[in-house]
Amino acid sequence: MVADKGKKSKVAEMAEEADSDPIDGDLVLSVEKLQEVQDELEKVNEEASDKVLEVEQKYNEIRRPVYIRRNEIIKTIPDFWLTAFLSHPALCDLLSEEDQKIFKYIKSLDVEDFSDVASGYSITFNVDENPYFEETKLTKTFTFYDEGTTKITGTNIKWKEGTAASNGVNHVKKGNKRPLAEESFFSWFSETHQKDVAELHDEIAELIKEDLWPNPLKYFNNEADEEDSDDDADDEEENGDDDEQDDVEDSD
Amino acid sequence: MGADKGKKLKVAEKLEEKDSESIVEKLFVSVEKLQEIQDELETINEEASDKVLEVEQKFNEIRRPVYDKRTEIIKSIPDFWLTAFLSHPALGDLLTEEDQKIFKHLSSLEVEDFKDVKSGYSITLHFNLNPYFEDTKLTKTFTYADDDGTTKITATSIKWKEGMGIPNGVNHEKKGNKRPASDESFFSWFTDTQEKDHSDIHDEIAEIIKEDLWPNPLTYFNNDADEEDFDEEGTVEEGKDGDDSEEDEDDQEDDDDEDGGEEDGK
Repeated sequence: MVADKGKKSKVAEMAEEADSDPIDGDLVLSVEKLQEVQDELEKVNEEASDKVLEVEQKYNEIRRPVYIRRNEIIKTIPDFWLTAFLSHPALCDLLSEEDQKIFKYIKSLDVEDFSDVASGYSITFNVDENPYFEETKLTKTFTFYDEGTTKITGTNIKWKEGTAASNGVNHVKKGNKRPLAEESFFSWFSETHQKDVAELHDEIAELIKEDLWPNPLKYFNNEADEEDSDDDADDEEENGDDDEQDDVEDSD
Repeated sequence: MGADKGKKLKVAEKLEEKDSESIVEKLFVSVEKLQEIQDELETINEEASDKVLEVEQKFNEIRRPVYDKRTEIIKSIPDFWLTAFLSHPALGDLLTEEDQKIFKHLSSLEVEDFKDVKSGYSITLHFNLNPYFEDTKLTKTFTYADDDGTTKITATSIKWKEGMGIPNGVNHEKKGNKRPASDESFFSWFTDTQEKDHSDIHDEIAEIIKEDLWPNPLTYFNNDADEEDFDEEGTVEEGKDGDDSEEDEDDQEDDDDEDGGEEDGK
């Protein structure tokens, strides 16, 4: 902040007055001492923040290999992330018809903090080769700067011809049991406007990082529970199967 | 032969059934393993929380004597808390005419966490003997219940002296006061003790005092003093009010006070 020209500090003002008035002299001293105490507190607080950050960094390192192991297990559960997304109360509304088909090609989801934890993180979808876009890795990265701004970068998706997302058209089927998004979820990767502290955070990123990523099984199970109670008699109903998709599935 | 064909079909069917059974089995096994990993993560997260809490407890203990020292220094600055309140953008609006007079009898303000930090805290206003109420100590305490996320709130029941602290009582608001005085007494905050659960609006006043005013009241005290000084000198000057209320505690180093008003070297 630029100090206004000619503006004097309160203490300097008081010091001037104090020369003429002994009582004010004591006051000036007290305020100066108070400022020193505040500076002392400042140091203590910074040290505390640093220590807390150390703990968070340490435990992030401990969690990393567990997340990697978790990814391997999730790969053996068909349509895990699709199911988890669809049973998350907020994320489910973000997937269009086409998105749900695309999600079947998702190999894994990865949320990773920068190693110092404080300066940012990234969310990555690893995707098998598919008829929708060229990329096999879609990443959105958030970098926090000291002054409070955030830099956001996202993979520029090269949509293949004929995909709904490339045409900007999304045919919402009537009678679907879930309201489908009209805009593709994947447009989230191209939303990279600079955000400062005052602007709304990237809500989708926060939902994925803070809510879905720590325990996606919770949501995955919700869905499984729902379907089980819908179809008690049907043993073969697997978690990932959705009635809507059967028609359009390519059989191998 | 028809019978052979029939047999083959049956075997094929059985194999298919087995396949789909084993697919389902494998799925169960995977989900079970996934649950184990989630449990493992849970344990790690709890440990991390505990360690963070330890750090906070440790530093709270370090801060305590510094706050005590600060309280003593503040006692030698007349009307410190009154001034700080009045120049806080939100708190300033909460004081009626009468409240402001009462605040002149305030000897100190204290915010103290429970020892374990996580189970609650209290805010205490210490008063000299005064013509408004009998009490010399008004405390509001917030206790967090672990299991259900509710907060129990207790507060001193103020023993007002006769004619004082009447809720809708006559409040002679002087016209032309530079600050709009509130209609309801700030001290009614001590009677608001309804239990809150996590979805209720928090006690905003408590949060402002604890998170904003208490860590560095000097910034607000200085704000107000600057305004008054410049008003007296007839210089048009913008107060730093807006800036400071947005800054973190950590940014207090930006205050001009230390270097005589010159631009910071930051």
